[in-house]
Amino acid sequence: MDWLSAVSLDGLAAVDFRWLGLVLELILMPLIAFVVGLGLVLMLRKIAARLQRRVGPPLLQPLWDIIKLHAKETQTSHGLIHEIGIVMAIGGYVAAVTLLPVPGMNGLAAQGGLIALLYMTMIPSLGLALGVGQCANPNGSIGISRALTAMLAYDVPMVIVIFGVAFHFGSLNLVYLIAAQQAGGIATWGIVQMPLLALAGLFALQGMLGKQPFEIYVAPAEIATGPMVEMGGKFLGGLFVMQCFQLYTAGVLYVALFLGGGENWLTFLFKVFVVTAIPMTIAMVFPRYRTEDMVRLFWKWPTMIGLLGIAFVMN
Amino acid sequence: MTHIDQVPTPGAPRPVEIGVKPGTKRTNPFARVFDELVRFAQSRSLFMLHYCTGCGAVELPPAMTSRFDMERLGIQPMVSPRQADILLITGYVSVKTLKRVILTYEQMNSPKYVIGICSCTVNGGMYWQSYATAKKLNDYMPVDIYIAGCMPRPEAVIEGLRGLIENIRTGRADAWKDYYRRYDHYLGNQQRLFGADWQTPTDVIAEARHYDLFGPATLGAHTALLEQHQRPLEALEMRIEIPELMRRRSRSDQGGTAQ
Amino acid sequence: MATSPTTVVDQLLAGLHLPDGFDAVAGVIREFLDQVTNSAIWTRYGQQSLEWLIGMNPVDRLFMLSALTLLLMLLLGRLRSAGVLAVLLYGAQFAALLSTDTLFGAPLAAAVRITVADQSLHWSYDALSWFFAMITIGTGFVTAWYAAGSWMRRYREAGRSARAFHVALALNCFGMLLLVGSADLLSLFLGWELVSWASFLLMALVGGPAAQAALKYLAYAISGAMLILGAIALIYGISGSFEYDAVVAAIRSMTDAQVWTLLLLLGGGFAVKLGLLPFHLWQAAAYAEAPGAGSVFLGAISARMGLFGIIVFIVGMIGVSRLMTLEIPYTFMSSRELIAWIAALTIIVPTYTALQQHDARYLLAWHGIGQGGYMLLGLMVGDAVGSAGGLLHCFNYAITQAALLMAVFAVVHRTGTADLNQLGGLVTRMPLTFLVLLFGIISLAGLPPMAGFVSKWMVYRSLITEGMPLLFVAAVVGTLGTILSVYKLIHNIFLGQLRVEHQEVAEAPLSMLIPMLGLSALIFLAGFIPGPALSWVAQVQGQLGLPVVPWVLGGIVDPRGGLDMIWLVGILMAGFGVGALVFYGFGGRSRRVHQLDNYAGGHFLTADVHYQYSDNFYAGLMHLIGPWYRGSFRWLERSLAATLDLVSFGAEGLYRLAQPTLLMLAAAVAMLAWVL
Repeated sequence: MDWLSAVSLDGLAAVDFRWLGLVLELILMPLIAFVVGLGLVLMLRKIAARLQRRVGPPLLQPLWDIIKLHAKETQTSHGLIHEIGIVMAIGGYVAAVTLLPVPGMNGLAAQGGLIALLYMTMIPSLGLALGVGQCANPNGSIGISRALTAMLAYDVPMVIVIFGVAFHFGSLNLVYLIAAQQAGGIATWGIVQMPLLALAGLFALQGMLGKQPFEIYVAPAEIATGPMVEMGGKFLGGLFVMQCFQLYTAGVLYVALFLGGGENWLTFLFKVFVVTAIPMTIAMVFPRYRTEDMVRLFWKWPTMIGLLGIAFVMN
Repeated sequence: MTHIDQVPTPGAPRPVEIGVKPGTKRTNPFARVFDELVRFAQSRSLFMLHYCTGCGAVELPPAMTSRFDMERLGIQPMVSPRQADILLITGYVSVKTLKRVILTYEQMNSPKYVIGICSCTVNGGMYWQSYATAKKLNDYMPVDIYIAGCMPRPEAVIEGLRGLIENIRTGRADAWKDYYRRYDHYLGNQQRLFGADWQTPTDVIAEARHYDLFGPATLGAHTALLEQHQRPLEALEMRIEIPELMRRRSRSDQGGTAQ
Repeated sequence: MATSPTTVVDQLLAGLHLPDGFDAVAGVIREFLDQVTNSAIWTRYGQQSLEWLIGMNPVDRLFMLSALTLLLMLLLGRLRSAGVLAVLLYGAQFAALLSTDTLFGAPLAAAVRITVADQSLHWSYDALSWFFAMITIGTGFVTAWYAAGSWMRRYREAGRSARAFHVALALNCFGMLLLVGSADLLSLFLGWELVSWASFLLMALVGGPAAQAALKYLAYAISGAMLILGAIALIYGISGSFEYDAVVAAIRSMTDAQVWTLLLLLGGGFAVKLGLLPFHLWQAAAYAEAPGAGSVFLGAISARMGLFGIIVFIVGMIGVSRLMTLEIPYTFMSSRELIAWIAALTIIVPTYTALQQHDARYLLAWHGIGQGGYMLLGLMVGDAVGSAGGLLHCFNYAITQAALLMAVFAVVHRTGTADLNQLGGLVTRMPLTFLVLLFGIISLAGLPPMAGFVSKWMVYRSLITEGMPLLFVAAVVGTLGTILSVYKLIHNIFLGQLRVEHQEVAEAPLSMLIPMLGLSALIFLAGFIPGPALSWVAQVQGQLGLPVVPWVLGGIVDPRGGLDMIWLVGILMAGFGVGALVFYGFGGRSRRVHQLDNYAGGHFLTADVHYQYSDNFYAGLMHLIGPWYRGSFRWLERSLAATLDLVSFGAEGLYRLAQPTLLMLAAAVAMLAWVL
């Protein structure tokens, strides 16, 4: 069968299979993000339960919740934009996670970079905001107005952090950032080289995840969970999916900026889970801040710490 | 408020054949596995809206917090009716409250379950003689499980919830379908209490039609009475109505709700 | 026949440098034109005039067509079909601009020259002129189309003059074409004055508050023109010529103090038009109160003429490197940082003023001022990506702002109000207008996948790589404020509860929808494939002597972090596909419910009680930053005006008191003595 092997080998050599690898990455990355995100959600609920001396939910609870919500037999829609909003909320994150390099997969990190990623993650928020707006419920609109204000608050330290890291390594390319951090072991990690920025980043992370004390936009007893007030069934299910992605994105971004990304999956996941556990642990011992107090806090301490960090980075 | 005589008496509730028998299974094996999975997920994830009407509400915090921890069973509290699976009525229901309870119940997404906690929801309890209290909750909406007691201990609450979980997993908890299939009956009881002009913002009949949950007793004398004065409740459909392209159409057939 | 419409179109298409795929489109156009040329009327009149047109200098042809538009609008503006005629004429102007081929080709001087007192005024088109003229005529074209149908009918019915509007618009276009084509200081000043007065005309058309705002603008514009005149006098004093070559040489030989003076005079003059802090107060009211279509034109391009002046003189002639050497005494800042900070403040202050507006028109007009800051900021960074971002933002902003204002005025056309507290829920009644506004706000806020993202990304990136953290934070804070404010815009108009009085509102008329939808498609395309626009910008950079941006079809290649929008938009669309699959594929059936079937804590909602959150939309934020809105600039303006009033009052009293003629004479003598 000489001819057969010759033909097939020639054929293989002629076709460039690199694009296939990329397509595979683009499919795998959101899937992994979702699964890891489910784990993160479970971890958050477990931490909350343990801090309250409860047992907490079983292993697959986040999955059951999502299945149940999607399988609701009657679902309440407030119109096309309500639906499109959820589609955008999920879709935006599915796209955004392909810009985040994970061990062995770079996805589209070279085409986007840090700023593109930051703004890409605003697309789901925009979709959610549109969807909530169409619900014609003022509780939802108040929630969105608070959530956007919160974004204004935590994004100021966040962009300071991103500036500092990008300037320090001289690149906006996440692949390059990770490679530069891994070059010299822990000594070249962002958190060692820029501890002040890492601290400011952790602060911003707390706001980004919308965890206590910064969850005024949900405020269940006051505005009935704000943006989620009219979300039931698959609408709420979509938001649960989005939450998985959101936790993953925030955790991986922090790991990529300060903890040298992942050398392999084991250390990578370990870092991601540890990073995401910090805000949750802090959250459970705090009540919530009012919107203006939150803005004041974010524009004062993390911003000052971040600017100080930049001053060190630039000199 | 209309006089009570204007409302036709419902008489004895007619026995009505409910389409799906409890526990029936689809024949396609894949569909059966899928149904099992969905039912299992439904039974293990219950979001609860507690309508804290009476004293029974005080028993729920211990059931939720560290002593008994409902989250072990996948049960957690939720805030708005859209998000919830279980409507928890925790005590006596006054007539005024009942209106809100019905509104809330109708806004929930099916499958939805009602749990009546405390004796007051079963038969009025110590408010039996009150002119302002609804006695039997299941006259106005289908109730899946009653947890009797004055008040039931958290253990009893958990036990009741476990029973509901078991019912959901085996596919027996479909009382919510009864509301669509015998809407006329429930509406009649509601009208007798609230008057003939009683209307909720949810269009139950249209919903039954949309989801194929229509039964022989969905419509009747009471729904006819409702239709006489009902404010239209069609959704505001998105319409692209460019005048230049629409000139031939007359204004009258464009629908839309006038309120 | 050497020249026929077919060959003209062929040349035009060749000048466009289109990819091969457009051959089919060209074929269709050619076929249609062949039919036209075979008709009898054509062979009699058309051919001759076409040959005459073809024979002309392309720049002259452009001016001629623009002047012809003005003339025809003066003569025929009263006619019902004048709107359509105007659209065709602007289209012809656009074609004429393309045929100059000055973007990729060599600069081309107009044959027309005017000689006044031994000084000749002349005009010449180069890549920069082409770029700004393209935006101007494009905006004029869509504006004219927007105004051509139902909008103009309503405008007439209100008892207003259609001719005045058409003439004002044509005059604006003509003035701007002259200004961007100016090749010496005199023609520049002529064009500048023409543009100033033309925009005044467009602003003042409808009277009332519009006229008041226009008068305020006039006060600013005249002082701005005085500053520019002063700068021209200063340059002439040193160079002895108005020609640009001589001007460049003169600036090179100037001392630092002279450059500073020049910078303040020119910068001040152009800043008035651009609406830079602290000269921004006139703009919002003047643009917002103008009649709908006029507001679209003014908002999209008019203020950019100030930026054009800054690009020609400060970026082109003085140069960013010279700016960096001009230190401000006793500070660490150079003049470049000073301008960059003015730009940054221009981003922040007007954007957060926009956040407080209740009127959709004012909200957008304030954002227009703020977005000007991004352009100047990018140019002041001065590296390849930053300056390209600044220039590209002119184009992206123009299409965005035009689409946004058109959508808002379409809502005004249908509902009669732009008050954000009087609207709501219109998405079910005007879905296409909603779509246009949605595309517009995504672009204005600078989010992917729309055009605005690309240019803002470039500005951010340059600020990072050049190491300007505070300016970067300022730019991002401006963007975040924009996101907040545009969500309020779309929420209060289109989302939330539909009001009872708007139940029967119809979609915007077709004549207004077509340009709106066209612009939204352009906004998306310019974000999806920024390559063509970047290629124009690269040409402009090359001509200005700036470093040229390394562009490709999808964006920018750079190992330190590039941007490929084709990939990003592609993955975003794929993501939306996955989202739709999860949502529609795996989710149960849904049913749309009435807006009153809504959670209100058990309360029964009725149509007579409004259930909507619109007023004081960012209440929490305003608790904190509300007291920061002190209106310092407004206070400054008012005190200046009051001082002027007092002085003029005193002078008037003096004249009345004493011998008026004597005083006049004394004043004239004093003036002469000071000047000489």
